[in-house]
Amino acid sequence: MFTQFSNSGESVGFRENKAVGVSIEHLSKSFNKLNVLKDFSLKVAPGEIFVLMGPSGSGKSVLLRHIIGLEMPDSGVVLINGKDALSEDIREHVRMALVFQAGALFNSLTVFDNLALYLREHRLGTEKQIKDKVMQALTLLSLEDAAKKYPSELSGGMKKRVAISRALVMEPQLLLYDEPTSELDPVSSAMIDEIIATLRDQYRVTTIVVSHDRDLAMSIADRVGILMNGNLIHIGTPESLKNPTDKRVSDFLYPKVDLNNPRFKKIIP
Amino acid sequence: MNNSQQTARVGLFFLLGLALIYVTYETLSGGKTFSRSGYTVVAGFPNLQDLKPTDDVRMAGVRIGSVYVTRLGKGRAEAVLQIDPQYTIPSDASATIVMAGIIGTDYISIDLGTTQAPALKDGAEIKTKITPDIASIMTQMAELGHKLDSALSSISNAVNGSGPDGGVFQKFNRLLSENQTKIDASMTNLQEITGKINRGEGTLGKLVNDSKLHDDLLAAVGDFKATASEAKNVMASAQTVLDQVKAGQGALGVLVYDKQAAEDLKFTLHDIRDFSDKISKGQGTLGKLINDDSLYFGLQGTLKKADRAMDGLNDSGPISAVGSLSKSLF
Amino acid sequence: MNSIRSVLEGVGSTLILFMRSISHVGTLSRQKSRFIEQCYVIGYTTLPIVGILSFFVGSVLALQSGYSMQDFGTQQFIGALVGLSMVRELGPMMVAILLAGRVGSAITAELASMKVNQEVDALVTMNIPPAKILVLPRLAAVLMMMPVLTVISNLVGWFGGALVCKYTGFISVEPQQYFQALRHVVKFKDVIDGICKAEIFGFIVVLVCSSIGLSTRGGPREIGAAVTKAVVSSLVLILVLDYFVTKLLLAILS
Ligand SMILES: Nc1ncnc2c1ncn2[C@@H]1O[C@H](COP(=O)(O)OP(=O)(O)O)[C@@H](O)[C@H]1O
Ligand SMILES: [Mg+2]
Repeated sequence: MFTQFSNSGESVGFRENKAVGVSIEHLSKSFNKLNVLKDFSLKVAPGEIFVLMGPSGSGKSVLLRHIIGLEMPDSGVVLINGKDALSEDIREHVRMALVFQAGALFNSLTVFDNLALYLREHRLGTEKQIKDKVMQALTLLSLEDAAKKYPSELSGGMKKRVAISRALVMEPQLLLYDEPTSELDPVSSAMIDEIIATLRDQYRVTTIVVSHDRDLAMSIADRVGILMNGNLIHIGTPESLKNPTDKRVSDFLYPKVDLNNPRFKKIIP
Repeated sequence: MNNSQQTARVGLFFLLGLALIYVTYETLSGGKTFSRSGYTVVAGFPNLQDLKPTDDVRMAGVRIGSVYVTRLGKGRAEAVLQIDPQYTIPSDASATIVMAGIIGTDYISIDLGTTQAPALKDGAEIKTKITPDIASIMTQMAELGHKLDSALSSISNAVNGSGPDGGVFQKFNRLLSENQTKIDASMTNLQEITGKINRGEGTLGKLVNDSKLHDDLLAAVGDFKATASEAKNVMASAQTVLDQVKAGQGALGVLVYDKQAAEDLKFTLHDIRDFSDKISKGQGTLGKLINDDSLYFGLQGTLKKADRAMDGLNDSGPISAVGSLSKSLF
Repeated sequence: MNSIRSVLEGVGSTLILFMRSISHVGTLSRQKSRFIEQCYVIGYTTLPIVGILSFFVGSVLALQSGYSMQDFGTQQFIGALVGLSMVRELGPMMVAILLAGRVGSAITAELASMKVNQEVDALVTMNIPPAKILVLPRLAAVLMMMPVLTVISNLVGWFGGALVCKYTGFISVEPQQYFQALRHVVKFKDVIDGICKAEIFGFIVVLVCSSIGLSTRGGPREIGAAVTKAVVSSLVLILVLDYFVTKLLLAILS
């Protein structure tokens, strides 16, 4: 299915991109005295797939929002190709897409219009070309039947897939996924993994994936980082996760389910 | 609802809005470009006063059209009247500008004319009558009021006295009080004289029986009567003046509505009351004259005696003095 | 101190939103369908309530002034009073207030929920300025629709007054007399003044409601709070601005 997408004509599919590199330097961010990110630094090479893991509320989504320019850092900077992510130049000339955790679909538009909005607003092709392109992106994620539906009529998993296809239509150079496979069944999850990997292989899309999905990290990641308490406690290849030396990492990745000594009893005596 | 339906409704709605704005414009600008039905006639006046386009044209009170436009003609102001087609105006009818009220709107009133006269045609001239406008009437009335005001204040000055010797009443009052002793003395003298007459002393006593002298006295009393009736006439004419004032006729009628004049009048009347108060309280000679019984009876006695013994009385001085006094009082 | 700061922030963000929207005015021709949709919502669907309320405002105006004028016997001038008040003041004011309640609240609710659902963020990541596609069409639509709503409100109010004058015992003024007095006093300039006023009010209501909607933070609870804030601010602004706009228009007049 994906091959079909990538091999199609010029108007459809990804243009050959100059891959972008992301460099996060000494980023700090706090909300009302809650320090979410503390002097966070990370470099993601052009065309790399970086998987970011970490417990809920550790600030993964906040980090993605900084990279795409939705959030202003308290201190530090996010550089894309060496330029500030918030600058006009980057906004205008680097195509970046974020697959939001909750989808962030336009509720007043149909699925089709959700995908077509970007193309129409930036006048990327005639209405016919836009339609072909959108339908192809929808077909890719088995959403062709949902084209005329509104987001409120979709299931959680379908919303997630629509959000991904909406990002794909933008043909981004930098693609950020915020928990793309949560709420998806195993087959759909595997499909998403394949899409992420293929996009990178064929079009050198720099990819940052936030996920709790160990399989995803193991199968497609070039590098994996674990965010905890506002900073990376581990960074390395997927192999390095198999036998972590750090106790925090092993506790996070391979928690033992101990029914005789449940965790909540420790919290609520 | 599909898109084109929505577009159509918005389009319709907007056109409706434009049409209504146009309707408003037409309504407010007096339908100048509205289809004009009927015909026009021209009315020339020296002054159109407050007349405006859209004002009514009424014939014997019935609305038959409206003022279409006002303009200046040769040495006059012209109102072009738009007359509804179903009405005809006889050529001998004449138009006047009428004001509906002080804050009302003007309208053109056309009288019925006669039915024999031919009807006015489109663009014809209608005869006009000039009516003084209410504003000029009001100004004239105001002028009149001012004149009355000054007249009354000079009267009040004269009566009230602002000069060195005071007003008429004050002079009179002073005259009487200054001469009180003299008058008293003359009265005593008179008594003395009449006593003497009574007792038949002197020439006068003798004269009492002379009928000719009695007739003379009667004539003197007649004089007094005539004087009194003259005074009555004066009173009567004063009454008519008063009635006219009450009826609101003449200049004095306005006086009633003029606050300043009324104020002055009040002062004048107040002075008169003062004067009469003094009289009734027995102050001054005249007061005593009227209030003092003894004096009155004395006088009466004197006159009775005089009646009986007038022979020697050639001098009718005191009596004519009373006559002239009563005259001057009016 | 905090409230002053938040007011200043509100003013600032509204002005910034205004500038941003205006800077995209060239794209309006490509946003026809959004513009038409907003025209439909702002104009067409607001018409019934504007009609009904204007009718009763005109009626009650005639009734009250008739009641107070009966002692002076000046009932024949009610037409002038109702006509002028409707055109210069009550028509534009009524429409603006209804706009705030009916359209302004909806705009704030919609934009606030878009903000809370991160739809606005999504637009930003797509490099589509929210001011361009969410605010500009609404501003254009309100400018387009206000004159229509206002003129309808004026006329309906006039007729409401005329009906009351005819059928109320102590007034008993015939429509012909009523409209003659009205025509005598009301100038087309007054209508234009009223429409100018309505345009200013409408523009400000939409701008303020958009701005408050777009600066919402948090969850569904904040959407409700934002709507309340938007409607209250709109009403206060309408009433306060009314005084100054009226003064300005009268100054221009003389
Ligand atoms: N706009 C915001 N205002 C206040 N607190 C926020 C905001 N965004 C995120 N946070 C806080 O920052 C922390 C990290 O959030 P988030 O990045 O969403 O976590 P996650 O790693 O699960 O994606 C959370 O405690 C959250 O409450
Ligand atoms: Mg998150």
